[in-house]
Amino acid sequence: MNSVGEACTDMKREYDQCFNRWFAEKFLKGDGSGDPCTDLFKRYQQCVQKAIKEKEIPIEGLEFMGRGKEKPESSS
Amino acid sequence: MKIWSSEHVFGHPWDTVIKAAMRKYPNPMNPGVVGVDVLERSVDGRGRLHSHRLLSTEWGLPSLVKAILGTSRTLTYIKEHSVVDPVEKKMELCSTNITLTNLVSVNERLVYTPHPENPEMTVLQQEAVITVKGLSLGSYLESLMANTISSNAKKDLGVSFVEVRGKRMDPRRLSSPGSWVEGSALVRQRLLMESRLPSSPAELMERAWMCGRKLLYKFKGWAAIEWIIEHSESAVS
Repeated sequence: MNSVGEACTDMKREYDQCFNRWFAEKFLKGDGSGDPCTDLFKRYQQCVQKAIKEKEIPIEGLEFMGRGKEKPESSS
Repeated sequence: MKIWSSEHVFGHPWDTVIKAAMRKYPNPMNPGVVGVDVLERSVDGRGRLHSHRLLSTEWGLPSLVKAILGTSRTLTYIKEHSVVDPVEKKMELCSTNITLTNLVSVNERLVYTPHPENPEMTVLQQEAVITVKGLSLGSYLESLMANTISSNAKKDLGVSFVEVRGKRMDPRRLSSPGSWVEGSALVRQRLLMESRLPSSPAELMERAWMCGRKLLYKFKGWAAIEWIIEHSESAVS
């Protein structure tokens, strides 16, 4: 599955693999602490946010990791 | 206005179904989904996992049309919010389109829970609401038909005459049809014209409805999950 931003696809796949493993082996078994994918997610996120701005995709009101309640400037 | 709801029972336990649901794309039942990204993910104070995702879907337009419109303009974007509660064993997913919102809104809600009588099975309750903006779907279709039939008879129909009872008559003289025969001839002419030259706002609305219908097919979401489970049985421990 590709990312919405073409340049982010590899980062997305790496993050997805990490997440799916954590989700199945830890989270669903009751151990929701210690997400090992945080660094991967940060890098992936930076790429996706850039792609969303460039494509002017109308995302509003979402909190992005590490950016608190800041809204993207290009919303709507 | 609720349009569609259904319930499906998976012959798999909740954990298996949820793992597949989180890895739903790509799958052959949803070829239109061309991009999926996680925008935000966190565990809340109650231990539930929240995920916000962005999906991009292709309309499936013919390639010539895509070349004319430009590929980016044929993509529809959908945002999804899901909540997974591993203790209560409940996953809830809500999605809505964030483009074409001035024309149509397609809202979908899915809830996955263990079957109340059999923990080896899982229930999916699904509902979808489609709203053509400003109107309920029924009244939109009614007004579309009404507009087609009662559109301004004084306009130039682009033909020099209308045939009524074998006699050629100037259509402008029929703008206030004196009889139902003349009126129906006018309507027939107009409908014929309409089918060859659809007006753009109506065609755009119909496109939006077609888009909504394609999304409706996606609402057999359980079929995609079953496929994912089948094709990753070995990977799902």
